Amino acid sequence: MLKGRTRFIKGYLFAAPLLVVLAVAVLFPAFYNLAIAFYNFIPASNAWQFAGLENFAKLWNSPLFWNSFKVTLLWVAGNVSLQLIIGLAIALGLNSIIRFRGPFSGILLIPWISSFVVVGILFIWIYDPQMGVLNDILLSLGLIEKPVAWLASPQLAQLSLIVANTWKFFPLVMITLLAGLQDVSTELLEATQVDGANWLGTFRMVIFPTILPSISTGVLLSTIWAYNSFTLPIVMTGGGPLRATEIFGLHIFKLAFDAFDFGAAAAASLVLFTQILIVIILYLKLAERN
Amino acid sequence: MSLMASKRARRRLTKGFVYVFLVTASAVVIFPYLWMALTSFKPIEEFFTYPLQWFSKNWTLAQYAGVLEDPKFLACLGNSLLVSSIVTAISLVLSIPAAYGLTRLRAPGGKSILVGILSSQFFPPMIFFVPFYIILSKFKLLNTIPGLVFAYLSVTLPICTWMVATTFRNIPRELEEAARVDGCGDIKTIFEVVLRMSLPGILTAGLFAFVLAWQEYIFALLYTTTTAAQTAPVLLFYYLGQHQIDYGRLMAAAILLSLPVIFPFAFMQRYFRQGRGEGSIKG
Repeated sequence: MLKGRTRFIKGYLFAAPLLVVLAVAVLFPAFYNLAIAFYNFIPASNAWQFAGLENFAKLWNSPLFWNSFKVTLLWVAGNVSLQLIIGLAIALGLNSIIRFRGPFSGILLIPWISSFVVVGILFIWIYDPQMGVLNDILLSLGLIEKPVAWLASPQLAQLSLIVANTWKFFPLVMITLLAGLQDVSTELLEATQVDGANWLGTFRMVIFPTILPSISTGVLLSTIWAYNSFTLPIVMTGGGPLRATEIFGLHIFKLAFDAFDFGAAAAASLVLFTQILIVIILYLKLAERN
Repeated sequence: MSLMASKRARRRLTKGFVYVFLVTASAVVIFPYLWMALTSFKPIEEFFTYPLQWFSKNWTLAQYAGVLEDPKFLACLGNSLLVSSIVTAISLVLSIPAAYGLTRLRAPGGKSILVGILSSQFFPPMIFFVPFYIILSKFKLLNTIPGLVFAYLSVTLPICTWMVATTFRNIPRELEEAARVDGCGDIKTIFEVVLRMSLPGILTAGLFAFVLAWQEYIFALLYTTTTAAQTAPVLLFYYLGQHQIDYGRLMAAAILLSLPVIFPFAFMQRYFRQGRGEGSIKG
């Protein structure tokens, strides 16, 4: 009995250094941020002043905040749907082959391990209106008549960024769904095929219901990472043109380090965090029901 | 009979279609890197020719020489190496005993503590923008290596601990019991049984921490403004900010920055292929 208890204590002792560092480097800053949202920083006197909900009211009345709110929703919806479609198609493809499955999945994972800055630079170079290879290919195929400014036009910039971000992120959905596809029962598959069901029928009746949990996990993960985006947009457009790509991450960055409005930046980051928490709660509710 | 044959033919056709699709997808994945590599070996004059010249007739290493002769780039590369190594070492030193304590020593609530630690992975980095800035400036750690290490640990520690704990959980408990019966203490059991058995997993976690730190960009951008602690990804961003973007040099630098990740990747993809999405890179 006593031996069991000393083991408990020992377990915590082993974990203590990590827990202390995490408390200092993660937990404390997170709560500090929560407090800052209710204060105003006065740079002139280097002092803090309690502001109540003033920072949140400021955001509520700011057209720039609502612009970034809208841009973020579009960004999340675009990324999640594109990543799901591409990730699902490739996962189904990989799952239906045996030969070369390893090399294919190895190659298709490359974007996932690529650094954001390098991906951003790659795509700036590909999208470049004069020297970029994308315009070169499209022009020679006759699909466009004159070079397109992929990142400089407010209408196209968001879409071009979503494509680049999907290139970077689809492997996450792909591996999540590929893992789910391993649970599809071969007996059930064969039974439906004997019954003469076509591919779409098999997918709807057997595959889809089985991988539904993986799909919702994939959607959850890609939603969270889309909300948390920062590097790709700041490298590729800096939020422009005309704030057409200023998602929350960039808006918070500008509030904090261009305007030095720490309180408003912290408040905006809480709005972002709340949206992520809502998505997670929805996911857990859904998972519970199934 | 002919029905069977047509069915088989149809199946073969579908297979062929799947392979064409996967080859196309792989080409789209590889193309940007291939294009980057081709660009990095081009002499500068060929950038402005029209129509675009895909393959250079005058291969050159001038872009690489230009980057490697830039003392600023070398300094930043050194900073990246230093920060990543320190972060990796601290992450492993803290996460190995913690994972051992929480999984093998059956600390009550160990599982929920681990899930709590992992879930901090999903916190938006934006909630740390302001508090980290204030903390680092208060302790005079802006523009320093220790300041960056502090910020990076918030990213690497949770995922490292989770990965190590996952490996530890897969070691049969009997082996450990046997070592204890043989009279091994905690420390000796850790070193002789647990660590030896889970070496690949620990190596993966360490490599992962290194790659995360090597590629980290957000905190480096926010908290380093001088070359004293600036890392290579941030310098790339500044190369980009110049009025006339020097693409050749940029691509060469991007290649040099990506090279060290190839070896760890070969190792880590085994981990990812098991369908583990939790090891993610913030951005």
